Amino acid sequence: MERKKASAIDYLLLVPGIGFIVIFIGSSIYITVAQSFGLQSITGKSQFTLKFWADVFHDKESLDSILFSLKIGLLSSIATLLCSFPMALFLRKSGPGKRLLSTIIKIPQFIPALVAAFLVINLISYHGIVNETLMALHIIKKPLRMLNDKFGWGVVLIQVWKNIPFVLLILQGSFASIRDDTIDAAKNLGAGYFSILTRIYIPLTMPGILISMILMFIKAFGDFAITSVAGPAYPPSIALRMRNTATLFQEWDKAAVLGVVIIAITLLITWLYSRLAEFVTGDE
Amino acid sequence: MSRLILKNLAKSFDNVMAVDHISLEVEEGEFVTLLGPSGCGKTTTLRTIAGFYQPDEGEIYFNDRLMNEVPPAKRNSSMCFQSYALFPHMNVYDNIAFGLKMRKVPKPEQKKRVDKVLGMLSLAGMGQRKPSQLSGGQQQRVALARAIVTEPDILLFDEPLSNLDAKLRVQVRVEIKEMQKRLGITSIYVTHDQDEALAISDRIVVMNQGQIEQVGDPQSIYLHPKTSFVAGFIGLANIFEGRIIERQGSKATVEASFGKLRALMGEKPGNVGDAVKFSFRPESMKLYRGGDENLLRGTILHAIFMGDATDLFVDVEGNRLRAHADSMTTLSAGDPAEFSIAPNAIQFLE
Repeated sequence: MERKKASAIDYLLLVPGIGFIVIFIGSSIYITVAQSFGLQSITGKSQFTLKFWADVFHDKESLDSILFSLKIGLLSSIATLLCSFPMALFLRKSGPGKRLLSTIIKIPQFIPALVAAFLVINLISYHGIVNETLMALHIIKKPLRMLNDKFGWGVVLIQVWKNIPFVLLILQGSFASIRDDTIDAAKNLGAGYFSILTRIYIPLTMPGILISMILMFIKAFGDFAITSVAGPAYPPSIALRMRNTATLFQEWDKAAVLGVVIIAITLLITWLYSRLAEFVTGDE
Repeated sequence: MSRLILKNLAKSFDNVMAVDHISLEVEEGEFVTLLGPSGCGKTTTLRTIAGFYQPDEGEIYFNDRLMNEVPPAKRNSSMCFQSYALFPHMNVYDNIAFGLKMRKVPKPEQKKRVDKVLGMLSLAGMGQRKPSQLSGGQQQRVALARAIVTEPDILLFDEPLSNLDAKLRVQVRVEIKEMQKRLGITSIYVTHDQDEALAISDRIVVMNQGQIEQVGDPQSIYLHPKTSFVAGFIGLANIFEGRIIERQGSKATVEASFGKLRALMGEKPGNVGDAVKFSFRPESMKLYRGGDENLLRGTILHAIFMGDATDLFVDVEGNRLRAHADSMTTLSAGDPAEFSIAPNAIQFLE
């Protein structure tokens, strides 16, 4: 049968989606990049300069913010994966109670990030449920500082809690594509549980693992809501620092530099993960 | 190489008896096929032998060793799956070498053995290809190579040819048979394809509803079916009921709805007046040549040209019988015809 060629009307159907991306996101990225070099300035004279880049990379708070967000992004994505992978493996085959468990695990997905942050604050704050319980059980004498801690463990904890269902959903899709026969064949050829995990499950779910880590990293790295509620007083996350630079200090050009850094790091990490995926799965 | 013994093996799923207390002995180097329709318990039996299912009752022995509690990884049996079950992320070489790696065979020895089976199965030069780059027949050969490279005690085949086209199926089954004979590995083969079973097996185990109906070599299963299920499942058969009206030693005369037949009953019990069930193959119902026994007169209902023969549907006294004539026959629908059946072609069924 001859394939019908796409008509002009067919291409018009693409306009709302692609048009939106090109016009709004494309132009936003252009303006952000341009402003970082002093062009398209909304606060002063437009002139090409590298001054704002030099300012940001000589500013300790900005550098600390970038490193802090990188740390939160990487730790959150790794911790979420470590929590989700065993669950996805356990839920691979249906069994009594697994459907209910699967539903319960997905609940955090439907709670907005800010609300999730406040919910977890109630648990881990200085006088929250966890500290009060540990003190009541005489396990600790004085409350632990788990919230707004300098390292950012509280932020990681909330990111993991919030994003487990999201990562689980991706991993469950990857696990579903593995046939039972494949696992039986491995067992039949002498593979024990550890060999099946490392030689069959992990390589075959690697595309799902990497895509979930990329998406998780992007969410955590650019997060604003959770860090502003549960993050340390210093350093702020890069998104928070960008907001402060633009709206509090009215340094829009420096904020644009931070915006470009967020985009560049996200693209770099995505590229690194996809190269890793190609290496692991052997695809060219 | 092992002798396989199943003793009173039973396995059920959700109160449905999949394998119903079967016993079987397979000799070293023998090629035995479990044959039956879907749901007869043949695959469950195979998977229980492999260790994927734990039997509810009964015992499985490889030689004298009880295998019930031995995990699949430790049984030294290899299975060829219906879906091939190749590891999609590994190339052909790594797929075949997988079992050797699990057994910690040194790398040079791995290479030697993998290269040997690659050559044996006409896969030389394909070691670096991914399974997705191979045809169905090649994938099946890789699965076979992966199964034999570990030199298993028992080879298990779960309908390995069902995803191949008809011509390739015939070609690969010959390859499987030749390879099994050469290596002498005890093999259990599961199929629902009677032609495949007849062509490939030393012995056939016909299964129905979780039980064994008959065990025998292909010829005896085809020529001397014991039950109406076996007669009907293996090949084509005319199956009828009748009554013994005369019995003299091994010879008997049976009266059926389409006429009287002289038959050889051998040692089978049956007295005058007893109801009996019997069958005969379409190819045993030959066009009458003067002097033949058991003359049947009928009318051709349909004559279907099959290439190497003509399939005839014949009305005899209101009964629909099936006969085969050679492909050059001029008989067509509506023609009167005379047939005969040799007394030794009539099989009495339990």
